[in-house]
Order: sequence, then structure tokens, then C-alpha cells
Amino acid sequence: MKIIVAGGGLVGGQVARALIASNNQVMVVESDRETAASLAAAGLEVVTGNASVATSLEAAGALRADVLVACTERDEENLVISIMAKRHLEIPRVIARINDDANRWLFDAFWGVDAAISSAGALVALIEQTSD
Amino acid sequence: MHVVIIGCGRSGSALASRLDAEGETVGVIDCNGDTRSRLPASFRGTFVTGDALRQSVLKEAGVETADAFVTVSSNDSLNIVAARVARDIFHVPHVVGRLHDVGWQPISSHLGIQMVTTVQMTVDRIHLMLAHRPLDPELIFGNGESLLIRSSVPDYLAGRRVIEFNVEGEIQVVEVSRGGHSIIPGAATTLHEGDMVSFAVASSSLGRLQSFLGGRWDQ
Repeated sequence: MKIIVAGGGLVGGQVARALIASNNQVMVVESDRETAASLAAAGLEVVTGNASVATSLEAAGALRADVLVACTERDEENLVISIMAKRHLEIPRVIARINDDANRWLFDAFWGVDAAISSAGALVALIEQTSD
Repeated sequence: MHVVIIGCGRSGSALASRLDAEGETVGVIDCNGDTRSRLPASFRGTFVTGDALRQSVLKEAGVETADAFVTVSSNDSLNIVAARVARDIFHVPHVVGRLHDVGWQPISSHLGIQMVTTVQMTVDRIHLMLAHRPLDPELIFGNGESLLIRSSVPDYLAGRRVIEFNVEGEIQVVEVSRGGHSIIPGAATTLHEGDMVSFAVASSSLGRLQSFLGGRWDQ
């Protein structure tokens, strides 16, 4: 599957590596230049840019992607990325990371979220299931 | 009218103070409780310290009975999310947000949320002020018979009364901007160095206005 991971921090980086290990084609979108450079140095495919801006996602191949994982450390950003991925870029499956469980009430179809998980481990497990 | 404002920074606190002074009821939310000190002692509204995406926090600020909702936090994505929550979940009739980054504009317009993009506004204004074409119209009325022109005035006119520009049926001074403030000039208002003046002018009198501003003060 073609998967975009929006946000290449600790969680996003792990998610990307796990997905690559299970033979998916993964593109990471990361706004921080240093983080993006270290991901690229580790062999990941990275687009440096703000994932909530449509052009960054398009550069990452969003129009051909099967899955997008909104994995940044800010819940509001993950929501904006999710709604754009679903509505604007029409990515079939959108999975979002919840950083603060108090925000769980927002993570639903209203924001284009198909599934939301609040811990990295659960996120990896879920994506691996769907990619089998 | 009850207004909920997200963010008590420079914009949020100034807006909250003004609306409060005008007699509206205001609920301000900021995640940093220290920002309450930006509000004047006379502020009668509610200040809630907390995360603007919490339902309990929004309700405490009065979102359920709000007539208007304004998001001016420093976080653009938070402004978009909060604005949409206010409009579509709490059905607030009038929602306005602020964005710093133009990059967010497509998603907010896609969602149909009214957003003021500050960087874009600032750049446009400054660009206009720098443009050395003082008689480019800001607004064109009707089929172009009347124009709104904004121009700096030559320094040697400082001290002259603003109404000396007025020519019945041709030119009318409508506004003067001075030191970042705007004033509606009265009969006694005089020009200062650096003033920007807005003129309503008949298009057939543009040449006349040009000559006033160019130095021939033929009154």
C-alpha cells in the first residue's frame, strides 16, 4: 500500500519504519528540517513541509495514496490534516493519532477520521492489520 | 450579544476589551491564565483558563448561548478546529477566525470558515502604501464615475485645513490616517506631515486632485 505518514516525530518515525518493514511504500511529511534530514539519513522517504498544507501532501503523492496517518504531536493539526486528506485529497483511509485523550470526542467522521488511536503501539498494530 | 473569544493575546484582549466597553457580554478562553492580566480591571466578562477544544471549557465561556465566536489564538490549526466546532457543533451563528499563515487558507475556505489572514493583510497594506502610484483608486463606485483615492499629501501642506481640498461636486475628503489611527476630519482638522488622506473624487476631477497633490494649491 501507499501510505503517507504526516508528522515524523518519535511516533511518526516508528510508524513509518514499521510500515516499511511490512512492505508498504511510505512517505513521511515533516515540517522540521532537522527531523526531516535525520529521517532521510536513516533511509526514509521524506517530504519537508507542513503536512496541513495541501501542496506538501500532494508532493508526498497524496493523490495516489491508499492511507494517510495524521501523526503529529498536536491534535488540532491532526484534525486539520485528516479533514483535508479525506475531503480535499480523497484519500480512502485516514487514521489519526490522539495525543490528549480529552480530545477524543473530536476524532470522528466529522473531521474525516476513519480510525483514531491514542498510543503509538496501538497505532502500529492497527496499521499492520489493515495492511495484511 | 454574547461573544466567545479564543486567545487572550494582543488581538483577543483588545477585542474583548472593546466589546465589553460597548456593553456586549464576552467570554474569553486562553490556556495561559496569566493572559488575564491583558484585560482591563473594568472587564466584566468571563475569563476561562483552559484548552479551547474541551467542551466543558467552551461551555463555561458560554458557547451554547453565543451569538458570535472569534478564534484569535496564535495557533492556526487550533483556530480552524475551534471555529468549525463552534459553527457546526454548537451552531454559533457568526464565526470569525484569524490565521497567520496563508498556507492554511485553502482548507479554511474549503470548510467555508470566515478567516482573517493577518500576514496577507499586512503585506497587502504595506505594498499599497509603498506603491508610488498615489492616485490608484482603492474603490470604484458605479460604472467608474466616482472613485475612492488614498494618498499621502506633500509635507508643505502641513497646517492647512483638510476641508480646503473639498471642491463641491468634485472632491471630498472622507478620512485621514495619522500614526496608525484613522479619523473623520471636521471643519477645523488640519493636515500633519505623514498623513494619508482618503478622497472621494469624481473621475473627471482626477486631474484636479492630482494637481493639488502635485503642488498647485489653487484655492
